[in-house]
Amino acid sequence: MIRMSRRRMALGLACCLAVPAMPVWAVASPAPEVMSTWYRLVLELVRHTPTHSPPVASRAFAYLGITAFEAVAGGSARLVSLAGQVNGLTPLPGRDPAARYDEAVVLQAALAAAARDFFANTGPTGQRALDAVERQLSAAVAAGLPADVLARSVAHGRAVAAHVVAWSESDGGARIVNMGFPLDHAPPDGPAVWVPTSAVRQQQAPLLPRWGANRTFAMPDGGACPLPPPPAYSEEPGSPFHAEATEVYEVSRALTAEQRAIARFWSDDPMLSPTPPGHWIAIARALLLAENADAERWVDVMARLGIAQADAFIGCWNAKFQYDLLRPVTYIRRVIDKGWEPLLITPPFPEYPSGHSTQSGASAEVLTALFGADFAFEDTTHVADGLPGRHFPSFWAAAEEAGISRLYGGIHFRAAIARGLDQGRCIGAHANALRTWR
Amino acid sequence: MTLSARLAVLLAALSGLAAPSAAEGPRFVEETAAAGPDTAFEGDWEYMVGGGAASFDCSGDGFADLFLSGGAAPSGLYRNVSARGGPLRFQRVASGLEVTGVTGAYPLDVDGDGLQDLILLRVGENLAMRGLGDCRFQRANEAWGFDGGDAWSTALAATWERGAGWPTIAIGNYVDRREEAFPWGSCTDNWLHRPAAGGTGFAPPLPLTPSHCALSMLFTDWNRSGQPALRVSNDREYYKGGQEQLWHMPPDGPPRLYTAEEGWKPLRIWGMGIASADLTGDGYPEYYLTSMADNKLQTLSPPPGDGPVAPSYADVAWPKGLTAHRPHTGGDYRPSTAWHAQFEDVDNDGLLDLYVAKGNVDRMPDFALEDPDNLLMQQPDGTFVEASVAAGVASTALSRGAVIADFNLDGRLDLVVVNRRAPARIWRNVTSTAGNWLLFDLHQPGPNADAIGAWLEVRCGGTVLRREITVGGGHASGQAGWRHVGIGAEPTAEVRVIWPDGTAGDWHEVAANGFYRLARGAAPVAWQPPR
Repeated sequence: MIRMSRRRMALGLACCLAVPAMPVWAVASPAPEVMSTWYRLVLELVRHTPTHSPPVASRAFAYLGITAFEAVAGGSARLVSLAGQVNGLTPLPGRDPAARYDEAVVLQAALAAAARDFFANTGPTGQRALDAVERQLSAAVAAGLPADVLARSVAHGRAVAAHVVAWSESDGGARIVNMGFPLDHAPPDGPAVWVPTSAVRQQQAPLLPRWGANRTFAMPDGGACPLPPPPAYSEEPGSPFHAEATEVYEVSRALTAEQRAIARFWSDDPMLSPTPPGHWIAIARALLLAENADAERWVDVMARLGIAQADAFIGCWNAKFQYDLLRPVTYIRRVIDKGWEPLLITPPFPEYPSGHSTQSGASAEVLTALFGADFAFEDTTHVADGLPGRHFPSFWAAAEEAGISRLYGGIHFRAAIARGLDQGRCIGAHANALRTWR
Repeated sequence: MTLSARLAVLLAALSGLAAPSAAEGPRFVEETAAAGPDTAFEGDWEYMVGGGAASFDCSGDGFADLFLSGGAAPSGLYRNVSARGGPLRFQRVASGLEVTGVTGAYPLDVDGDGLQDLILLRVGENLAMRGLGDCRFQRANEAWGFDGGDAWSTALAATWERGAGWPTIAIGNYVDRREEAFPWGSCTDNWLHRPAAGGTGFAPPLPLTPSHCALSMLFTDWNRSGQPALRVSNDREYYKGGQEQLWHMPPDGPPRLYTAEEGWKPLRIWGMGIASADLTGDGYPEYYLTSMADNKLQTLSPPPGDGPVAPSYADVAWPKGLTAHRPHTGGDYRPSTAWHAQFEDVDNDGLLDLYVAKGNVDRMPDFALEDPDNLLMQQPDGTFVEASVAAGVASTALSRGAVIADFNLDGRLDLVVVNRRAPARIWRNVTSTAGNWLLFDLHQPGPNADAIGAWLEVRCGGTVLRREITVGGGHASGQAGWRHVGIGAEPTAEVRVIWPDGTAGDWHEVAANGFYRLARGAAPVAWQPPR
């Protein structure tokens, strides 16, 4: 008891010295503090590591969440391992039942090792931050522990991380070339197909065209939650496709201040934000801090959410490159107004379905199952970037706003949003079906 | 007028400029080993940016001397002992500039005594070093009221505001270097050192809030109003809620940002360097902004007409051939990391070319590790073509700052590049097919002796070639002294200066391939190198 008090004091000191923005009430017990701090860091690393486009970020969140989950589950009487439940994950390294482990040290060692692998491409500042967080948290959780317990716990945490990292290597997403933009993409012909929309030379090929074939986590494969095709391409006024484009165009010309704010809030641009999946991770982190969650709750939420998001991007990308649809900016300039400018920067990949919608739907489905259907919350993800927080009565209300924000921003048609949310609901249900509690 | 129309005008205008034979293209010979300077830009995380050079005449012989920032190691000043037209040779001198922590340097005659002073940007306290003559310098922070602060300084721009007897210096600062685990969002204030109330010395610096981790700054008369504004290029890696900036600089009030309502469009890049030049011949500068994986060339859009000009720019780097987004040679396909950029005419054909220094920040696997520098030669149609391999300057060292100056006074511009963790490299321009040239040194009475803010105009072959006289931009690197203009095969040209107060001098004819002192109100005076 005395030892635990000293460790809490050490963590509180590390917290207040190293991360002054961390609220004092976050220092409830060592393991949750370890989770909170590492997730604060990886939300920054996602933003500052160019490899981490939204699909790659979702993958990192999934593996990091599973690593944390397995590190905690191995010492928990209440959690059950995901081995054998998520695709390809074999049983994790076991513990010596006769030996003592420290749960915070196991978790800290596992997260430190996993973060280094899944954010290996981060630059010198990210590497320096990884060093600092590992050093400070490791010292804090080790305070007062017998040397043998410390060494055994560190070794076990690292072994858990190594097992997850080894498993991750074969999923199809481990090696990202040229930040995900192919060097040899041959675009198909036809008026309906996606064409580059950016003046950035690197983005003249679509982002990660084979991502939809990656190994999924909780759903069987990338095609497990299929979509109906988008409205048939047509340039005829009055056709459903023309009507969809006209809606985007007309809305863009009469945007209200609120619609602009919504578009900006959910823009979540890579390298300028924690990306769309990071936005939902940030929401979850804030909620877990607010409820003073214990370690088991932390890892259950972060593992399920990460899994749902990663599967959402695989499923969404599977559909995107099945339909390969052009973006509103291409159609509207071709057919309606050659001088039209959308509010947001158009992402460099096909339109249908909307990635933010799919992954927001999946996130909302998981968080609704974990926190409740009418769980109201304040989303303060972008306050540091000057965007005030927004209040939502439920996770699905937030997801629907995230979806429609893409129409306000002029980067998606309505069908991609509505069906993307539907797809996300389907994908999230697979994550919800995982059994994490005994 | 559309961009294509402007290009057509430029083409038509340039068609009158007699061109030299360009069969060979630019050629440089590396003289690093023999030239003498061996300063490398050293240091770890706090020196991942910066690495500037400065060229200016501190000895009074008309040859440009060379300062190289050393980062965590002592910096070095090297006296130019080259002979005219000969190999580049420098000798290290004990100057008082052998200080550590220097990230960059800009020469500037702060006190108007006719001797170049040097502002040293540092990790720690910035230093105002007063030139004493004979390449000796003395700390002047206290004497000039220059508060060097304690930050990670990475950018500088200077100007003389209208009627001022003392310069205004903007300093760009980077992240809070003491933030170890969570430095993102910790950009520290940039500073504006304006003249003190008495007109001599500096007032306490004003914070240029908001500040977004500046890596390059430039006072520039973007709209030819006669009142330079302050452009700031910021590194999005560290700011939150930031963007590129343009500041109004009213002489009788605090700076204020140009707004979206005025036409300024948000642009968020890894801003690292600014190069400016009037490439279209319309009298307004274009701006080249270096970044990672992509670089921008901004031109006014819509083009300036008869009415007020809005600060609204279009990126035309791609159609101009200036994206320089990945290595142009070697096997590394990963995106580039660009730092110093500078427009100069290296083959004297009357067309400005662009040099871009490249180099990985520090073992960043998402970006090229073998990242050759660029030398992009402007073509008669206004596009640019890579020539650094043939020219011999495609260095794959970790390049940072650079200076392009005529170190041996042969009318051809030479190149010095600062490298991280390796000695600076030095190339002599030996282009045998180079055209004719002119070198000018501007002077006016009063405090702004070097006419910072003036526009130099050279008329020949039916076109006008312009240079805005600025202090700032590039990447942590500045230069003072001779201003170079290539004029192709033209045997003569006319020159005039639009002085910083807007007064246009008379046109004067000058013969090609000569050095001229341009004093306000006087005819050009030819000058000959002493050796």
